[in-house]
Amino acid sequence: MSVKAYARLAGTTVRATFAHRISIGLGTIGVIFQLVAMVALWTALLADGTRIGGYSLPEMKGYLLVGFATGIVGRGLGEHVMAERIRSGAVALDLVKPLDYQKMRFAEVLGGLVIELAVIVVVGAAFVALAGPVQAPVRPDLLLLSLVAVVPIKFLIIYLSTMLCFWTQNYHGLAWTRTALTQLLSGALVPLALLPGWLQTTAAVLPFAAITSTPALIYTGKATGTGALLLIGYQFLWAAGLWFLARLAWRTAVRQLTVHGG
Amino acid sequence: MALVEAHHLTKTFRRPDKAPGLRGSLTHLVRRRFTTVRAVDRVDLSIEAGEAVAYVGPNGAGKSTTIKLLTGIVEPSSGRVRVAGRDPHRERTANARQIGVLFGQRTQLWWDLPVRESLALLRDMYDVPAATYRERLARFDAVLALDEIMPVVARRLSLGQRMRADLACALIHGPRVVYLDEPTIGLDIAVKDRVRQFLRELRADGTTLMLTTHDLGDIEDTCDRIVIIDHGRVIYDGTLEQVKDTYARQRNVHLQLAGDVALPDLAARFPAAAVHAGPNPGEFTVAFDKAALTVGQILAGVIPLAEVVEVRIDEPAIEDVIRKVYAGELILSPAPTPS
Repeated sequence: MSVKAYARLAGTTVRATFAHRISIGLGTIGVIFQLVAMVALWTALLADGTRIGGYSLPEMKGYLLVGFATGIVGRGLGEHVMAERIRSGAVALDLVKPLDYQKMRFAEVLGGLVIELAVIVVVGAAFVALAGPVQAPVRPDLLLLSLVAVVPIKFLIIYLSTMLCFWTQNYHGLAWTRTALTQLLSGALVPLALLPGWLQTTAAVLPFAAITSTPALIYTGKATGTGALLLIGYQFLWAAGLWFLARLAWRTAVRQLTVHGG
Repeated sequence: MALVEAHHLTKTFRRPDKAPGLRGSLTHLVRRRFTTVRAVDRVDLSIEAGEAVAYVGPNGAGKSTTIKLLTGIVEPSSGRVRVAGRDPHRERTANARQIGVLFGQRTQLWWDLPVRESLALLRDMYDVPAATYRERLARFDAVLALDEIMPVVARRLSLGQRMRADLACALIHGPRVVYLDEPTIGLDIAVKDRVRQFLRELRADGTTLMLTTHDLGDIEDTCDRIVIIDHGRVIYDGTLEQVKDTYARQRNVHLQLAGDVALPDLAARFPAAAVHAGPNPGEFTVAFDKAALTVGQILAGVIPLAEVVEVRIDEPAIEDVIRKVYAGELILSPAPTPS
């Protein structure tokens, strides 16, 4: 069956990552710098045992580590490949393949995980060694489960927003908007507990929090027991919901693919 | 039932009416105005298994849009299309298994992979058995000389190499119907010849071909049926021979005569033809309808006037006909679809 084809497609991402190692490497270095900057900031804020929003410094470092990992994971080659193919009309060739478009893109993102996980392990280890003391995850098993759910959610949010390229030619604008929204509402910028009430409410009804806030809360033990399980349940509900939403959106989006040239 | 059937196939799309400049863009934001364009307009088409059809027309005539409708890439606005009984848009992935598509202007190779890997990926996508895969590659290699480009990463290929690889990609799963949108665009003569030879072999194997091209050499080499489209409408559908016989009846006879012959004297002998003097003394061109005159009659008429040193006859090429259609000089009467 086509499982083999999807697996091989996943492999192409790894190959392409090596081909584009410089630009992807630079992007990764950017994310690492962001991590370093955040640690410096929080170290200054939480010096001499202060707590902000209930976080001590070692807890906050754990939080930032999760923020880093969830920022790296599930990007694949980034959305620009798909965006560019939609913009140029090359997506037409994807549409004459005997495979499902959404699953093809997801397979590519899964392929990219191999390299992303390696980056996370290396940077994470260096972080713990250099920036310590870092709080250890309270429930590694639940954390892992929660991180598994991050991959499809992140893929689907990127996939859905990239689909807007069928309507607009400007995917840079789309990517910036989405990144800004995701950073703020996922809790990657600051823990959601520090946001004003109305933003917290907004974040609570949107899927972004499932990307960073949920695994970070589980890592730091701010969410435990039933509360943690409930959050993970929400994550998987979002993953499933977004998957079907994306299918629905695709049906409309692909109709916009009119005629680039005769 | 024919293998490919389109009935009143229509695709309209909206094109925004924007005045130029920032002001125009702002106005468009508030008051959105669109012009509806019919890219493909009530096209009827019926292609039997094993046919090779040339689909030609000027730029923007609707050729590529028709291909996109037939391949299921875009949904028809109205009308109906079936390929081997399937609705290509609704049953897109099922349809994809039985068709092969080549867009000459785009590649379906994976940019960062060697050609071999792209082909292997397609093999897995289409579930091509290993033995069949090897056999097909060997056959393609014979005509397209694939072996030399197999290890090359797609982005390093020249245009000609890329097109050869893309042809292999479009056909690796042994499709029943193959759509080729400008398969020889930008290629040099040597590669063009290979591509054309490849298409002839495909045809000989019974693969159904539909070919859009601006290169009329492609058509005369591979197809015997031609469909001409203009402004989204089919304006001719019939055999290539018939087009030539019916619409390419003009012949030009170029004469080099010894001695002094006045143009009016010569013209007076052929009232049904147009006679022009050439750049040098004694050179004349007689343009005539082959139904009204023959070359023999012309020679017979000239000989009493002067000695004929040289005669050259222009055979009409299909491109002359199509060029006239493009220029709007010729209105072809729609011919019935051959059944």
